Amino acid sequence: MERVKTGIEGLDEMLHGGFLPQTANLVEGAPGTGKSTLGMQFIYNGITKYDEPGLILTFEEFPQQYYRDAMTFGWDFRKLEAEGKLKVIMTSPEVTKMDLETVGGLIETMVNEMGARRVLVDSLSHFERMTDDPLELRATQYSLINALKREGLTSVLTKETPALLGELAAEESVTFVVDSYVLLRYVEIESAIHKALLVLKLRGSNHDKDIRQFKIGPQGIEVQAKFEGREGIMSGSPHRTMAESFVEAFVKR
Amino acid sequence: MKGDDFTARLMNDMDPRLLDFVKTKVNSFIKWDLIRFFYENPNTADSADNIARYAGRNVAAVKPELEDLVSSGVMEKRYVDDLAVYSLASDDEMRKLVDEFILACEDRHFRVKAVYHIIRGMR
Repeated sequence: MERVKTGIEGLDEMLHGGFLPQTANLVEGAPGTGKSTLGMQFIYNGITKYDEPGLILTFEEFPQQYYRDAMTFGWDFRKLEAEGKLKVIMTSPEVTKMDLETVGGLIETMVNEMGARRVLVDSLSHFERMTDDPLELRATQYSLINALKREGLTSVLTKETPALLGELAAEESVTFVVDSYVLLRYVEIESAIHKALLVLKLRGSNHDKDIRQFKIGPQGIEVQAKFEGREGIMSGSPHRTMAESFVEAFVKR
Repeated sequence: MKGDDFTARLMNDMDPRLLDFVKTKVNSFIKWDLIRFFYENPNTADSADNIARYAGRNVAAVKPELEDLVSSGVMEKRYVDDLAVYSLASDDEMRKLVDEFILACEDRHFRVKAVYHIIRGMR
């Protein structure tokens, strides 16, 4: 089956090769977990490794910030823009929604001119301010996702969770709308904060169920081994497994 | 009078294209701020309300300036549904001129001259 590789080694393994083409893929996490970095890496790798031009749609953060952040990983977004392989577009959710519903809209024109194949929408959370009605919000999210698919784009959509640690809110309608769901979490282990990555859903394909550690290194997201000897990782405050506790108490003495 | 002539000559001492750009297109501090904003964020496309918010200014002040920039070819306006959306002109020559203006502004002497022309134009 054809895959759209993220180019992030461990993540592509977890996704059994990558995202499926022309799908909407949600990356959710607390502030600072690395959602935008993962999205930028998806776009950057798409351009530089797989010759797939990309768009970044931002609603709150200025493009200037993306150019700066990307440069810290050695990703020269300004150069890619000058080469016509990337466009960092700042607009509002209202304009995006209307634009994508318009024939010959700005985004459609850019996609066609650049031959864009990937898009990062950063972030979906901003669509929540358009309405208080959950049904209308869901309809808006459907409409956005369908429009992106109609343009032939494989999308990464970020979403922010307010809680730094602990359980997620039970009702998250957007997770039903998207094709895959990647969760980034903070995990506290022995008074230190680690980061965990989990693929919760990949519609139409099997995927790795491990909860893996990851860090943001000089080249972006680096997915590492799974958490060993711990339980309750997704609670944010894991504890040792019984076997690990036994070893700690009796064997290591 | 002679002093005024000397000042004018001194202040006109810049690339004629940039002089024309300052006199006919920038000609207000709000426009200058907007042009800088669009230079830094060149693919922004949004309503006057949101652009005013990004620029930290009142929409009533920003909207006429955006319209002027559209009229002078620095920016483009398109309608999405019935909402006016503004973006930097896609014309390569105009984008180059915007780049040159902002880069020239890094020089304090150029900035002083540009401020002089803007204040004179506002009289």
